[in-house]
Order: sequence, then structure tokens, then C-alpha cells
Amino acid sequence: MTVGLTLQGVQYRHGMKTILHDVDLTITPGKIIGLLGENGAGKTTLMRLITGSAKGKGTIAINDATVVGDRKQHVSFTEQLRGFARETRVDQVVRFYRDVYGDFDFQRYQDMETFLQIDGSLKLTSLSKGMKEKLIIALTLSRRTDLYLLDEPFSGIDSMSRKRIINSILQWKPDDAIMVISDHYVSEVAAILDEIVVVKDQTIFTHEATDTIREKYDVGIEAYYESLYEKGNDYD
Amino acid sequence: MHFDDKIPIYYQIKTNIYHEIIMGTLQPGEKLPSVRQLALDVTANVNTVQRALSEMIAAGIIDSKRGKGNFVTMDETKITDLKTQLITEQVARAYQQLHALNLSDEEILNSLKHYMTQRGNVE
Repeated sequence: MTVGLTLQGVQYRHGMKTILHDVDLTITPGKIIGLLGENGAGKTTLMRLITGSAKGKGTIAINDATVVGDRKQHVSFTEQLRGFARETRVDQVVRFYRDVYGDFDFQRYQDMETFLQIDGSLKLTSLSKGMKEKLIIALTLSRRTDLYLLDEPFSGIDSMSRKRIINSILQWKPDDAIMVISDHYVSEVAAILDEIVVVKDQTIFTHEATDTIREKYDVGIEAYYESLYEKGNDYD
Repeated sequence: MHFDDKIPIYYQIKTNIYHEIIMGTLQPGEKLPSVRQLALDVTANVNTVQRALSEMIAAGIIDSKRGKGNFVTMDETKITDLKTQLITEQVARAYQQLHALNLSDEEILNSLKHYMTQRGNVE
């Protein structure tokens, strides 16, 4: 039995263009992972491949579930609240989640709703960027599952919202669950990450523990991440 | 807690707790908050806090009692040793930096004495 998240020989093409190739990755349970890379590097595609909403080649397993239908039960990913009409109220979205996902923990949602100050009576269209991200975090983390994916939860939000979102992750992520947070700006989350995975050149360019980077290279995570791109420039 | 991104986070958490023990903010025998609470207090990951705790337990400064939690050691000699160790580390760092400026031991000692008297005058 494999435990955690495993990707083997994953590749994804869009038409004639290779988006990702030779993706091999193993993440052990309980880890918080920073999925880093430039815009368009393939971070969101990788998340969609994991959930099964994008179909590529190779094997993807979450705690032994390899078939897409089984895998969906092991992963929680709220992609930008797509599929809901703009006029939908927040509490209607929550109702939908309770109906659709058997693992949705409403008590946990209510705790997060209070902590993140989410107003259930608002319509999706009237939510600020920060409020929308808070709702996405609350919905995603309210499911009791093995893998949580957050796609750029900190883009364009103020520092107070960022702190609350980070605290929610620390407080509500189950101990054995994996959390993958994508970002193209690492300094805002570096302190809470166990490992970073860098998507570059259409594959996994680097996968390393954050404290190992600090110990081995004597640099910060942001400086290390930036150095990956400086080296690349030498070959241009 | 504000972290220096260049220094391993578990090490910074460990050092922070050691300082609290030496300053007496954390008393011998005092119970530490739960791992998750500590993680929230310092805004770090549970795994990182666990690693810091494991090292402090291995060093004998923290006692882990099954089902009860983590406690500061009651063994005062261990705390005294820890204090000596931290003082030595700080002094060693300052000594090495001054030594690198080609100061003799006597000059280092004099400059330290001089600093301490001047500092007293300013206050």
C-alpha cells in the first residue's frame, strides 16, 4: 500500500504543446507543500491532473486510489468557485457543498466562517478578492479528506487576510492530510512550508525540504527559489 | 514570531523556547501548550514545531509525558547547563568577530570593559 500522494511518469499535452512531462513526485502524509513556479508554468494544470479534471498520461495515486472516480473522494479542491452563478449567495454554495460532499463537516465550516468573518448572505458577485479566497479556504478545508489543494490563495489579498488564511490552514488541516499551496511569490508562506516543489521547464525542477535548504545552502527560501531562475538565464 | 528565512525554522523555535526557559518566562515543571497551539502561537507548521520539541526532548530540557503533554524539566542543573551553553555560544560569536579584527585577547577584554562602563554612563 502506498501512502500519501504519488505521481509517476505524468505528462500532459495541450494540442501539440507539451505542458508537463516526466513528472515524478512523492509526498508523504501530513506535509504542507509549496508548489512554486512562474505564471503559466503548469501549477494549476498539475492540480487538475491530481483531481482528475484534466486527463494526462502516467499514474497518480492518493493513498492507493488511482482511478479518477476513487481519487476525487480523497482530494479537496475548490477551483475559483467556477460553476456557480454570480448571483448565488454564499450560504447557497455552502448548502450545495453539504449536499454533494459526504465528508463535508458543517461544524468545522461554521468555526471557519466565524474565524474568517464570512457573511453567508452575500452574493458571490459582491465578494472582494480577499473574501472570495477566505470562502474558498473554508469550503476546501471543511471536507474531511487526505489531500487539500489551494491554488494561489494569497494573490491580490491584504496582509491581514493572509494572516487569517495562514492561521486557518495551521488550525484546521488534519495532522495526516497533505496540503499543497501554489504560489509564485514564496516569501508570504515560506515559514509554514515543509517542502517546496518547483515546476519549471515543463517538469518538477526541484523538490526539497525547506529547512534542508536553509541548513544546506545557508539561504532563505525566496533567495533559493530566485536563484533557480538566475542559473537558467545563464543558458539563454 | 518573526522568523529569519535563512535559519531553519525548527531551530529558531527551539532557541526561542530555550530563551524563555532561561529568562524564567517558562518555569521548571511548567506545561507547554499543545503542539498545534504552539504552531498557531508562532505561526509555523505542526511538523516543524514537533521537530523542535523532539530535539528539546532529546536534549533533556523538555520532558514528554505520555498522554499528559510536554513539560519544562524539573532538573535545574540541566537548565543551568543550557544557560551556560547559550552564554558560551553568544560570547564565542562576539569573540570570533573581534578576533577577526586582529584584536588581542587583552584588547578584546579592555574593549568589553570600556563598552560596559560607557554604556553605564549613557544610561
